[in-house]
Amino acid sequence: MIFVYPWVLLALAALPLLWWLLRVTPPAPRSEIFPAIRLLLGLKTTEETPARTPWWLLVLRVLAAGLVIVALARPVLDAGAALPGSGPMLLVLDDGWASAADWPRRMEAASTALDRAEGAGRKAALLATAPNESNAAPEATAPMPVPDLRARIAALRPKPWPVDRAASARALRDWKQPGTAVVYVADGLTDGAAFSTFGDALASAGAVTEICCDTPPARLLLPPRSEPDRLVARIAQVPQPVPTEAAVLAQSGDGRTLARATVTLPAGASTAEAPIALPTELRNRLGRLVLEGPPSAGSVVLLDERWRRRPVGLLAGDMASAESPLTGSLYYLRRALAPYTEVREGDLHSLLSRDLSVLILADMPLPAGEERDAIANWVQKGGLLIRFAGPRTAEQPLGETDPLMPVRLLAGNRQLGGAMSWSQPAGLAPFADSSPFAGLTVPDEVKVTRQVLAEPSATLTQQSWATLADGTPLVTQSAQGAGRIVLFHVTANADWSNLPLSGLFVDMLRRLVDLSAGVAGAEPHAILGPAETLDGYGMLSPPPPAAAGLAADAFAKTTVSPQHPPGLYGPENGRQALNLGAALPALSPAPVVSGARVEGLSATAPERALGPWLLAAAIVLLVVDLLVSLALRGLLRRSVAGAATALALLLPLAPAHALEQNQPPALATRLAYIVTGNDQVDNVSKAGLEGLSEYVNRRTAATLVEPDAVVPGETDLSFYPLLYWPITADAQPLAPAAAAALNDYMGRGGIILIDTRDSGSGEGFSPGADTALQRAAQGLVIPPLAPLTTEHVLARAFYLLQDFPGRFTGDTVWVQRDQDRANDSVSPVIIGGNDWAGAWAVDQSGRNPYAVIPGGARQRTIAYRFGVNLVMYALTGNYKGDQVHVPAILERLGQ
Amino acid sequence: MARAIAAEASVKARRAEALGARLPPLMVAAERVAATVAQGVHGRRRVGQGDSFWQFRPFVTGDPTSRIDWRQSAKSERAFIRETEWEAAQTVAVWRDGSASMRWRSRGATVDKAERAGLLLLALASLLLRGGERVVLMEAGARPIAGLPGLDRLAEAIGADRSGAGEALSGLPPTIPVPRHARVVLFGDFLSPLDEVQAGVGRLAAIPVTGHLLQVLDPAEAVLPYTGRIRFRGVERETNTLIPRVETIRDEYGRRLAAHQAGLAAICSAAGFSFGVHRTDHPPETALLALYTALTAR
Repeated sequence: MIFVYPWVLLALAALPLLWWLLRVTPPAPRSEIFPAIRLLLGLKTTEETPARTPWWLLVLRVLAAGLVIVALARPVLDAGAALPGSGPMLLVLDDGWASAADWPRRMEAASTALDRAEGAGRKAALLATAPNESNAAPEATAPMPVPDLRARIAALRPKPWPVDRAASARALRDWKQPGTAVVYVADGLTDGAAFSTFGDALASAGAVTEICCDTPPARLLLPPRSEPDRLVARIAQVPQPVPTEAAVLAQSGDGRTLARATVTLPAGASTAEAPIALPTELRNRLGRLVLEGPPSAGSVVLLDERWRRRPVGLLAGDMASAESPLTGSLYYLRRALAPYTEVREGDLHSLLSRDLSVLILADMPLPAGEERDAIANWVQKGGLLIRFAGPRTAEQPLGETDPLMPVRLLAGNRQLGGAMSWSQPAGLAPFADSSPFAGLTVPDEVKVTRQVLAEPSATLTQQSWATLADGTPLVTQSAQGAGRIVLFHVTANADWSNLPLSGLFVDMLRRLVDLSAGVAGAEPHAILGPAETLDGYGMLSPPPPAAAGLAADAFAKTTVSPQHPPGLYGPENGRQALNLGAALPALSPAPVVSGARVEGLSATAPERALGPWLLAAAIVLLVVDLLVSLALRGLLRRSVAGAATALALLLPLAPAHALEQNQPPALATRLAYIVTGNDQVDNVSKAGLEGLSEYVNRRTAATLVEPDAVVPGETDLSFYPLLYWPITADAQPLAPAAAAALNDYMGRGGIILIDTRDSGSGEGFSPGADTALQRAAQGLVIPPLAPLTTEHVLARAFYLLQDFPGRFTGDTVWVQRDQDRANDSVSPVIIGGNDWAGAWAVDQSGRNPYAVIPGGARQRTIAYRFGVNLVMYALTGNYKGDQVHVPAILERLGQ
Repeated sequence: MARAIAAEASVKARRAEALGARLPPLMVAAERVAATVAQGVHGRRRVGQGDSFWQFRPFVTGDPTSRIDWRQSAKSERAFIRETEWEAAQTVAVWRDGSASMRWRSRGATVDKAERAGLLLLALASLLLRGGERVVLMEAGARPIAGLPGLDRLAEAIGADRSGAGEALSGLPPTIPVPRHARVVLFGDFLSPLDEVQAGVGRLAAIPVTGHLLQVLDPAEAVLPYTGRIRFRGVERETNTLIPRVETIRDEYGRRLAAHQAGLAAICSAAGFSFGVHRTDHPPETALLALYTALTAR
């Protein structure tokens, strides 16, 4: 604890004087009315001891005076050590991907350092070590007053790319200010080989205080490895002395978690893996893997179509009859594959001209020629070729070997059973463990009556994935280049076996398709433009200005940078993901900068001024003194004393009780806002809803009274037609009870207007609100959303609106996509970021305290109109829904 | 307003009647009945209006024939006239100190002195009226009351003088003509200097009347329960005194009060009055019984 004005403490020396003064001044006498005063007149008291103020009252008063003196000296708790040197302070901040996880604490640490500089009256400068969004190299700002720098730091965001040590070192070497105190907020990673240079540059710039090292550096989620039936999630970290655990969430494109895998990181390990097993249909929906924990660009791996889409091309030898129901050779294949995969058809050339994972040839011999070469080439590059035998394959001329067969076939076919045979149709043997079909149960009714036979060879057993009960291979395979060829020794229709009629056929095909590699994307040298990129918190957002396109074959070895931020590149139908973990060097812990004083990140508690609390304590003591003095003089009746004491005790609790003193909410219609705990935001919400209620009362027949503050889970929400919920950056996930209350509220027709207050130019006002919304709304059942258009009832409920601005404008407002007849097609949730309450707010004198941006009375009016529409929508549901159809109705009426 | 006062007075009268109901009707022991013509219960041992037989006397010319007692006349040859004894009512003048010092009560007391004195006065009056006596309030223009229905009027008169502010606040009975040989009952705190009390009582004794003087005191006045440093003020704030430690003078105060009361008793006995003390924290029945005994004693 330090004192800002320590000389004020000298006044403590005057306390004994105060003591003496209080002692010599007797307390004022009590006053009593007494009729028999004549008898008292002239009575002399025998004992001449002067009346004394009781000692404990003296102590109380002196204590109060002492508290006031100490408070005026402005004590500050946790002020930390003073900064070395006497020149400006240089704040070096690592703002690469690794700092996103505990970014708020880094901001706090930076703020604490700035507090120190401010307290010492020193200027400060900032050096953010990551290149910024426009790919400008790190550069130290000029020394400036601390308040100016605070604004800059507040605008700083963690970047999704690593820091640039070499460029930072150059910037540090350019720093020429004597007596500099360097405060380095480190992310704990070397981020490349240039760290030692950087450390030296730091040390040469001034006396270094390093804030780091007490939390493990961030983990990095590496791109997963694709295995036939699973994804293997991989995590990299700086080796830790104790085993740790991490969890990887597999999420779909719309953010729902489909699977969760726990990864155990042994002590000293720098990477670890965990399989994520998912059925194909779910796996095809995967959009990203997320490392559970604080969001950052390093904890997100975007999955592009390589991990998902597996187009299957179908070709038959006799295309004319291939489609005929029940007998066509492609008839069963199509039905088996269509539910799970994308099935393509066409001639071979058009099939191979697009990305294709699997090519199925049903009884189609491949004579030497261009077609065969094309297919062979495709297989070499990783394609999976599945062939089915049949009469045409069996009639293959002797001596001519088809190289695109896994095994050499004997000419002709083998028939089992039938009128001229002694043998019976053969069943299937159980699948071997090494086969991809392992685990599938073989139904007894599957019988093979005819098949082509493989030429016996030493490797035939290894090449067989399925055999008949007598050991004859039914499915054989061989690897060719990066690809694979699989042969079914039967037809793809029911001519040769009833396998295509059974469920086993579907399962086998799915296993095979799962084996194939996903499509690799566009042509190798095509330049893919960035479509959506990750920000520092791992959220997809529009690409930064410096982002440039990337060649399709360069993705695997491109390190992310401002030019190539992690994210999705390429056209809509061929997105390719660039991930931070793909080409990042192994994480290695950064050593402490030589000669630096080290402070812990979590230890840098923010400064807390004690003065106000001491003053409050002094006031409480003085109130007690007043009560006691009154009591001593007999001026305080017992009831009055009780009431006063109760009042004094309850005074600090009064705001907490304010909620329960809400008027009976059922007596009138009123809006409500969800209490965020942030007083400023709550006041804006209250003022906004007051302004809107007043506007609605003035313009419409609805009568709204004073809005209420509600706490979901505690307040009964059923009386409110509309809840306004501003999201603050530090919003915590809803408690289960609160989430249940809100879900119930939405399920019964309530409307929640969720406002992240960060659209358009508002982003700077509430950074991180989007992340906070995800976090806060975790427990809510939010239906699929769609942008709010002018066709929606909400745009016509009272006024005809073209856009829906609040204090800010420009961002999409989201409403429920599907019409839900149960709730009168009313969207239970409306999500936007336009800070409507700010636009609606009126202050005591009836003015609007918050300017609308970009501005204009028109925007404010439209904002109010949107509010009126919203209230009408909440009160009347889709009553105005017909309005949407008026043109159609008029047309039908023949107008 | 007037009606409210009347209603309040009636309630007070009922309460006082209830208080007196436990005692038999009070007939004042009167050697000499007040010099009035009021019909009453006190025989005057002479011929006059009354119910009791006094004598038969021979009819003389000029007597109205309707007064002849024919039963007696039939026993002899002469006509007799039946005469009754003159029976007169004793008049009791009552007074209650209504000054500001009486309208005070200490913090622990439930009633102020004036209220208690009024209650006692009314209870006494109800007893007297039930006994057939006449009660007159010592107050300018007050009319004597006979018969229980008059109790309400009395209560009203007391209530009215409580609310009237222009009363002389001497703490002593006013100089109102009182019938000779009437009985006087005075309620008050009599904290005035003894000289003044003696003058007032002496004036009454000179009429001549006798009676009873009841000092009504608040418990705080009786025991001085205060402690600490206290500035005492008079009820009219006319004077004040600062006592640094009240507990040290408590005994001295007690002695002064006892001396005052002894002085009052001496004044009363000299004038033929009896004297009693009543504290408002004591039950009013005690005081009423004491009054009853004092007034019935010969």
